[in-house]
Amino acid sequence: MSGALVSGLEASGYEAVAASSAEEGFFLVHSLRPDLLLLDLTLPQRNGLDVLRQIRKEGMDLRVLILTSHNTVEDRVEGLKTGADDYLGKPFSFPELTARIDALLRRFLTPSPSSFVVVGDLSINTRNRTASRNGEELELTAREFDLLLYLAQNRGRTVSREMLAKDVWQENSRFTPLDNVIDVQMARLRKKLDDPFEVKLLQTIRGLGFSLREPQV
Amino acid sequence: MKFPRPTNLRSRLTFWYVSVLAALLLIYAAIVFVFQYGVLTRQLFHDEVQDVVTAEGLLFFDSLGRLQLREDYFSRPQSHLLVDRMMEVRDLSGNVLYRSATLRGMPLGGPNKRGEGDADFDSRIVQLQDGSHAFVISHIHSMQGRTMLIRLGYSLVPLRDRMLQFLRLLLIAIPVALLLAAIAGQIIAKRALRPLQEMATRAEGITASNLNQRLIIVNPKDELGQMGRVFNHVLDRLEQAFNQLQRFTADAAHELRTPIASLRTVGEVALEKGQGSAEYQEALSNILEEAERLNETIESLLLLSKAESTGSANSKTVFPASEVVNEVLSLLQVLMEERHISISREGELIGRSGVRANRSLLRTALLNVLHNALKFSPNNSTLAITYSRSADPNPKLIMTFQDEGPGIASGEHKRVFERFFTSAAQSTASKSGTGLGLSVTKLVIDRTGGEVWFDEEMQAGAKCIITLPISE
Repeated sequence: MSGALVSGLEASGYEAVAASSAEEGFFLVHSLRPDLLLLDLTLPQRNGLDVLRQIRKEGMDLRVLILTSHNTVEDRVEGLKTGADDYLGKPFSFPELTARIDALLRRFLTPSPSSFVVVGDLSINTRNRTASRNGEELELTAREFDLLLYLAQNRGRTVSREMLAKDVWQENSRFTPLDNVIDVQMARLRKKLDDPFEVKLLQTIRGLGFSLREPQV
Repeated sequence: MKFPRPTNLRSRLTFWYVSVLAALLLIYAAIVFVFQYGVLTRQLFHDEVQDVVTAEGLLFFDSLGRLQLREDYFSRPQSHLLVDRMMEVRDLSGNVLYRSATLRGMPLGGPNKRGEGDADFDSRIVQLQDGSHAFVISHIHSMQGRTMLIRLGYSLVPLRDRMLQFLRLLLIAIPVALLLAAIAGQIIAKRALRPLQEMATRAEGITASNLNQRLIIVNPKDELGQMGRVFNHVLDRLEQAFNQLQRFTADAAHELRTPIASLRTVGEVALEKGQGSAEYQEALSNILEEAERLNETIESLLLLSKAESTGSANSKTVFPASEVVNEVLSLLQVLMEERHISISREGELIGRSGVRANRSLLRTALLNVLHNALKFSPNNSTLAITYSRSADPNPKLIMTFQDEGPGIASGEHKRVFERFFTSAAQSTASKSGTGLGLSVTKLVIDRTGGEVWFDEEMQAGAKCIITLPISE
């Protein structure tokens, strides 16, 4: 899996190196001084949390994102207490992973607070919660607006159903009925957003999720 | 004749105890009776001997040569003992010389027997002509050169009356004693068996959801304590096995998450890169979709094991039932809008009754039921929701969810709650999910103390009925 992760992260524009053991990880953390450590808690010999504790004891300036298959509230709290910056339960979707990594790295790149999000001819006003395309206002329900805003904030990136479930619907986990709801909601949004216009912004990527982007010419 | 056998141990113990006591009392009473009779008879004999001796001193021949008893005897204070004595004096050839008035002319004991009264005071019981019995002693006495046979008897009627009275007293006293013993026996047995009853009540309350409970053992050394200990050992082993099984489900699900995560990452990264032919991309998409299905199955299994382990009260809160239903409906709102399905509600006010449950699990349970109902509802139909309240002493909230879909195939009303069950019916096959949704629902509702079933009487559509105990 680490091979796929490295290759995927590199494709997303990051420099990534994989370590196959805790010791190698320590060595790489010390020698490369990375911005972010992706830590799988199920390590061959040592508990991932021990590694994290060690790193925090040394006081290194390093973002840590934990990956684990034990995705309960207690586990999450323990991980965050130990010093993790974020927590992702397996199986995660790759788009969500990159979104989380981006968010963590952005944290120290002060985000610009703007009340407008623009994707192509789509303009979203976050203050009075309106959206328009080509100057033409879209009539959206509250949920549809939230959905569109989330997609626009992640423009150009693929958004998985897990991410939508967590961030737009505020559900802890994804489940069959919710997938159904997301798909229907997405279809309705598309009807309002794309059907009347020639340029289609909302893409469905089978097996991955959705993406809001200007089509490449 | 067949006795109705007492069924419970308490009554059986009392029954045996009382039976033994009754037998003992009867034997005792018989012995006392015989002994008493013997004592009284001996007393009578003794008195009669005294009387004979006294009478011998009082007998005399008058001037006409008739045998008389001195009358002044009766003025003596002890004389009352002689008042109802019967006396007959005969000469050796059998002629009656004297007969007391109390005999009213009846002979006392018929002709002389050979050797009667020769040696000592002979005693025997004779029947008089009027049918009554008398205890008679005989004695040979010589007076003024004449030898005669004195017979003196006491009527046995007073004695027998007395014995009969004694017998009657015993016959009243014994049942009363037995009744008291039976009551005492019941109380004692009840007290002795009370720990057993408590154990049974407690054991009855132990189900899969609270296997950690144990019987309370008051005295570990007595028989009941021993039984309780053995039972607790059995519970220990059962709990262990149960936990192992539960852990296995959770562990297996966790273990499966890692390879699925790998599968997804590899697939997603490859797909994001957008390399390869459309055919490859199609294949990857298919693999990812199947991986997602697999993931959902695993999540449902974890949910099941979570629901199984959260039977205890600590994760439960009290909230209005309809609140959760409405929350679920608003989540599914878009599905209803899309298909023009409307909701009809009845008894909304009753629906606001509080129920005690793990809120998030109950929400999942209701979500599965409502999503199912919507999934199978045709366009432009109505989903009817009703709330009512049962009149039990422990009131239950009854919720029904009725759709206008194809309904449930006959014979599948119970099977739909089985794990991994998906109907083979043509009308629903295309909409099958993981086959775990309703089994999650059933488990959660069961653990909440309610029931869930589908109405088998429905001609069209499916009607799901859920009952939950109301917690004020």
